[in-house]
Amino acid sequence: MSHSSHSHDTPPPEEFREHDDFNIREVHGAIMREKSEPRDAFAPIPLWVIAVFMALLIWGASYLVYYSGGFKSTVFNRYQPAWGAEALASAPKGPVDPMVLGKRVFTANCAACHQPTGLGVPGAFPPLAGSEWVVSGDWHGDNHLVRVVLHGLQGPIDVEGKPFNGVMPPWQQLKDAEIAAVLTYIRNEWGNSAPPVSAEQVAKIRAETAGHPQPFTEADLKAIPAEKFEAAPAAAPEGTTPPAASPAPATPAETAPKA
Amino acid sequence: MNPTTQEENHAAVSHAERDRLERAAIDASTRLPVILFYSSAIFWLLVGTVFGLLAAIKMNIPTFLDQWGWLTFGRIRPAHLNAVAYGWASPAAIGTGLWLMARLCRTPLKHAKLLISAAVFWNLGVAIGICAILAGDSRSIEWLEFPNYASGLLFISYGLISVWAVVMFHFRQPGHVYVSQWYILAAFLWFPWLYSTSNLLLNFEQIQGGAQGAVNWWFGHNVLGLWFTPIALATIYYLIPKVLGRPIHSYYLSILGFWTLALFYSWNGMHHLIGGPFPAWMISASVVASVMMVVPVITTAVNFHMTTVGHFNALKWSPTLRFTVFGAVCYTLASGQGSTMAIPSLNVITHFTHYTIGHSHLGMYAFFTMVMYGAIYYIMPRVVGWEWPSSRLIRWHFWLVAIGIVFMVIVLSVGGVLQGLALLNPNVTFMKSLEIARPWLWMRSGSGILLTAGHIVFAVNFTLLLLKFGKRRSGPTLFGKRAEVESEMHAV
Amino acid sequence: MNRMTVIVIGAFLTFLTSWVGLVAYPYLQLGRFMPATDEASGDVNPPPLSGLAVMGQHVYAASGCVYCHSQQVRQIGIGSDLARGWGARPTVARDYMRERPAFLGTMRTGPDLANIGARQSSAKWHHQHLYQPAVVTPGSIMPSYRYLYRMQKIQGQRSERALDLLPPNVPPPGYEVVPTYEAEALVAYLISLNRNYPLPEAPEPTE
Repeated sequence: MSHSSHSHDTPPPEEFREHDDFNIREVHGAIMREKSEPRDAFAPIPLWVIAVFMALLIWGASYLVYYSGGFKSTVFNRYQPAWGAEALASAPKGPVDPMVLGKRVFTANCAACHQPTGLGVPGAFPPLAGSEWVVSGDWHGDNHLVRVVLHGLQGPIDVEGKPFNGVMPPWQQLKDAEIAAVLTYIRNEWGNSAPPVSAEQVAKIRAETAGHPQPFTEADLKAIPAEKFEAAPAAAPEGTTPPAASPAPATPAETAPKA
Repeated sequence: MNPTTQEENHAAVSHAERDRLERAAIDASTRLPVILFYSSAIFWLLVGTVFGLLAAIKMNIPTFLDQWGWLTFGRIRPAHLNAVAYGWASPAAIGTGLWLMARLCRTPLKHAKLLISAAVFWNLGVAIGICAILAGDSRSIEWLEFPNYASGLLFISYGLISVWAVVMFHFRQPGHVYVSQWYILAAFLWFPWLYSTSNLLLNFEQIQGGAQGAVNWWFGHNVLGLWFTPIALATIYYLIPKVLGRPIHSYYLSILGFWTLALFYSWNGMHHLIGGPFPAWMISASVVASVMMVVPVITTAVNFHMTTVGHFNALKWSPTLRFTVFGAVCYTLASGQGSTMAIPSLNVITHFTHYTIGHSHLGMYAFFTMVMYGAIYYIMPRVVGWEWPSSRLIRWHFWLVAIGIVFMVIVLSVGGVLQGLALLNPNVTFMKSLEIARPWLWMRSGSGILLTAGHIVFAVNFTLLLLKFGKRRSGPTLFGKRAEVESEMHAV
Repeated sequence: MNRMTVIVIGAFLTFLTSWVGLVAYPYLQLGRFMPATDEASGDVNPPPLSGLAVMGQHVYAASGCVYCHSQQVRQIGIGSDLARGWGARPTVARDYMRERPAFLGTMRTGPDLANIGARQSSAKWHHQHLYQPAVVTPGSIMPSYRYLYRMQKIQGQRSERALDLLPPNVPPPGYEVVPTYEAEALVAYLISLNRNYPLPEAPEPTE
């Protein structure tokens, strides 16, 4: 740098000499050429910035009024009404549509193997769509289907003419209503069409098979006479019910096929 | 400084010359800590880059190096984050913050040798922490993975550095306090509070699980918003006016930007948990604060733009300015993007996807890291007393990392949105969302290779500078031919 | 703003607001839960974890599962978590009271695991999946966790715990692959992840 030469001839003032170990002249090139330390100018804040700020403040305040659940520590859903009469009314507690509950139970528990499409995985997991096990064609009865879900299934089986050999775990931990809903769902999804299953029917078979130690096999099931659940209320085919069963309760109205 | 009282000592020394000597003494006093923090930062940048690249490749080829536990994806990924956040970004911020503070307070850094021990402790903590993660002692709390024996070391070191910064500010020369000083002082006060509270509640005496997420993201977002961001903003506020020799556009905008950032940014954390298991009001408060971030962002953007406007041709020749302005523009983009991502109807698409990863790289790399490069290009020649050895290497560094990061953010954003739309539709299987993202993740790995190359080029140039390689240059290392650069542009 | 006190006190106060709202408040309100007793069944919810599952939690942390798997079912109206069957109800703060740490997660490169124990309760499946994810779930990009398993020579009879692996991971004849203690613990933890129990503040969705 041309204009830095004269400074090299001037000895540094005393208070800067403590840094003798450091050659000030080495850095001087960069320092000589740099501009002064930054300063401020004082242009006013543009009006539109203030307008944006104000608009956002108003928006933010109203957002908090609507979506804060009344600032309660037990309200987790931001869409839950927090103020006024709506907040005081308790959440509606109607019966759950079995197709909706069934789909939820299916996606949560069954879809991992049988797939959301109900087509299963060829060679590994049998299909449910069009399966005679599900809509009780062939020798299969609805009572078989409930038993399979409650206690599981193992060993070689035949589905839609194709052989499978795997293990399905038991699902006793699900509630009767959940099993009924998921069965109703798989019997009426993917082009299947069969009467719904009620929670009472599941409860009955659960009681009958309470002591069953391990998953059923195809041979076990074949030995049990097939039974068809009817859609119409109180029309359970008494003739095919095993003698040990408790009297079948009337099918409640909510299990009737949905409109 | 009052020259008249000390006339007899140095009557020959002009006022301007005294300023220069003062600056030289300040630069000299910060020499060792700054060089040490910068060198170790660049070392960890390289280490972190390798981890990042490995993690990216593992997403493409899951069987790649899967036989050893210490190289599994779930350890490489936090190793990447911690190496770049605590190994690279924090030391780079500390080095820059200390130098800027000394310059702006016009006080030499006293007892700088003690800060060397802080740098040693810091690097020891990072090394121990990374080894602990790889060995399977990670806390698996995002941004706070280091076990307490590593985070404790970091805290001691940081405490020392903070005390130095605050003391330096206290002993500043009287007069006007510049906006950069507000940001640096506040950041050096916020981070120890943030780090100690979060580590105490999540690491030393872990609180019940129901409350952890809130503290986790209070930290996770504030380490960006109230530590990295203020240091980088302070750097931009310093470097743009300094290199251009123009005053910053509006002091009032600076004030508005500073206080709104302090208030709104600190409330942002819960937007990482929208729909999550927290009371609705906490999450809504963060949504509002995130959108309110528009205010500090447009404020600083207007301030930077109005300061630079009419001088954009300086980006052609000044490496410092080119990196810094790139970072400043990306700050506006990253923050604007962050505000939109907090709006619940958009968050349901981007949450849990690679879009968020793209956003964090836009913030931590395209904004913060690029500004730190700008600062290192400016500060290093002053503390070492040697100009950058190669202008060509700087150019390669810039284009490799600029193209690399822009490409990375674009592919992660597009891939992330597609993945998010698939996840949002319950009729699309989960596996499909994975399949959709896969080609974009391959492109992300490609962008990672560009960044890796850029970092190697940068490290080589930095090492050559430290070794005072080549012939002494008479002027600054600039882009382009010397003859084209006008004499008034020599301010870099 | 030329005075240190203005900057220091201002920085302190602005930051204090968020400290109160996002740290002190959750610490007091969400950090001191007691389990709820279900009136119908008498169960204590959330149920305590077994010792093995607690060890599994450490393995989950050490392996960094949280970087790809979340553990939260989002609220109704936000996302499709319920429709995907990731849980019977949205999760709430009390669900995590026993979690140290709570792995809420921010990425879903893999599916949500808040209720994986309800979806896959078979330890055998989990072991096979951890060892060879892409074989069990075609298209998966989860890495193999075979470093948590041990190949050993069959001593007399094949071990009951040995994995039934599929090609290309079948061990050579005379050898078997068995889970280590870490793998057993991890699977115990995964199976324990079932948050479908009732809590008063978390009603099951009705539609």
